Amino acid sequence: MSKLNNILENRVMPVAGRIAGQRHLQALRDGLILTMPLIIVGSLFLILGFLPIPGYEDFMARTFGDAWLTKLLYPVGATFDIMALIAGFGIAYRLAEKYEVDALSAGAISVAAFLLATPYQVSFLAEGASEAVMVGGAIPVALMGSKGLFVAMLIAMISTEIYRFFIQKNIVFKMPDGVPPAVSKSFIALIPGFVVITVIWLFRLLVEQTDFESLHNIVGIILGKPLGVLGGSLIGSLVAVFLVQLLWSCGLHGASIVGGVMGPIWLASMDVNRIAFQDGASDLPNIFTQQFFDIFVYIGGSGATLALVVAMILRARSQQMKQLGRLAIGPGLFNINEPITFGMPVVMNPLMIVPFVLAPLATVIITYIAMSTGLVARPAGIAVPWTMPPIIGGYLATGGKISGAVLQLVNFLAAFAIYYPFFKIWDKQKYAEEQGTAK
Amino acid sequence: MNILLCCAAGMSTSLLVTKMEKSAAEEGLEMSIWAVPGEAVRNHIDKADVLLVGPQVRYMLPQLKKLGETRGIPVDVINTVHYGTCNGAEVLKFARQLVTK
Repeated sequence: MSKLNNILENRVMPVAGRIAGQRHLQALRDGLILTMPLIIVGSLFLILGFLPIPGYEDFMARTFGDAWLTKLLYPVGATFDIMALIAGFGIAYRLAEKYEVDALSAGAISVAAFLLATPYQVSFLAEGASEAVMVGGAIPVALMGSKGLFVAMLIAMISTEIYRFFIQKNIVFKMPDGVPPAVSKSFIALIPGFVVITVIWLFRLLVEQTDFESLHNIVGIILGKPLGVLGGSLIGSLVAVFLVQLLWSCGLHGASIVGGVMGPIWLASMDVNRIAFQDGASDLPNIFTQQFFDIFVYIGGSGATLALVVAMILRARSQQMKQLGRLAIGPGLFNINEPITFGMPVVMNPLMIVPFVLAPLATVIITYIAMSTGLVARPAGIAVPWTMPPIIGGYLATGGKISGAVLQLVNFLAAFAIYYPFFKIWDKQKYAEEQGTAK
Repeated sequence: MNILLCCAAGMSTSLLVTKMEKSAAEEGLEMSIWAVPGEAVRNHIDKADVLLVGPQVRYMLPQLKKLGETRGIPVDVINTVHYGTCNGAEVLKFARQLVTK
């Protein structure tokens, strides 16, 4: 076994396994997935609202009236804008499931606790007034979306930890024998629910005495800012991609593991762009969103392996690589690359791990430069699913800009150039093996 | 026989499902084979006779094994080479071995 494999097997794997198996991170990842179908549906309406066809706006205004866009974007308000609410429920649900306590109750309590942490106030600018006033009696939509995401995540964890502690210690209302089990079950959530609500309530009372005024502000400063720096910097993104590739090199699902930590950050920055895009801003604030990675960096799957598949199809001499290319091209177009990672294999293959790590790092840098100089449009906050084939994906993710599709092509070619020499060596070895056995 | 497969999103395993179904049909076996994302296993395992785990999510194996043990359902990771080459026949054989063991 080579030295690299040794390090991967004995150092990286055990740590990766522990992190990946960590139940809070898993719950976070699995819970956030609950928001995805909604956000993708919302994205469809968003795309329809901003189709880059000349004369489209005029046509829509003539056909459906001046308020057509507002009306068309109603579903966006009920999908993107409540992602924190849905995530709070989902994370609590998944975490409770892992503790094997009643997940539905845990989810409901978490949503209540999240709303308890949120002041029911919105700022309102009356017509003719110069200063906005705070109006009570309204749930602030702004805090139900990406702005409230970190609070919702945190509260989901805290409330579910409290909940399962009481259930597992069996500190619950006990009903006398003869009470139907369904009835006594409905009382089980009472004590832990009461404790969760009281804890968050006391916390809110405490915070209101400080300058922060609300839990949302505290979390924004303590958690949101540093995480934003981590997720929004080139270095942070390179490290994230390096880790994803390292994990995949051991045969572990890197994107899924790293996504547990980075997913919420990239999701939040995606939504910040979405809000700016929807408001018609010409400059979008963020470069590093979920789509930066899914659509532009990982063309063909983690490792930007579509280029490798194409190299196999066009240039392979060995039967094995030719066949693999044919098998892997279909899924590869939809960014699924397990046939490559396990079939070639890339996993535990020191020769192929080199370009496998280098190619996506290169595409991160190229994409970053292209977007920060304004050469290519930034991702518009449209949640294009990671399975979207290239060219279409880049076009949609940038809100219908050809530059997005061109960038994907450039990244593909860069990845091709990096993979090619390594692929040739591997192919030659396989070819020699085949010829040897044939003789 | 009911075979449940799982990976991160249930997508790459679904690739294998079609190949396994083909081999099952060729051998004339009555099989129900389907793939789900890891977090959905809980809702599907009761319908399965065996659970096969994609090698890229083998970090979930301890949890999934526990889930399987309480129900008497064998759980194991799919061989990486068979997984990578989408070798439906071999994986099918593996599943049947696990059940009859």
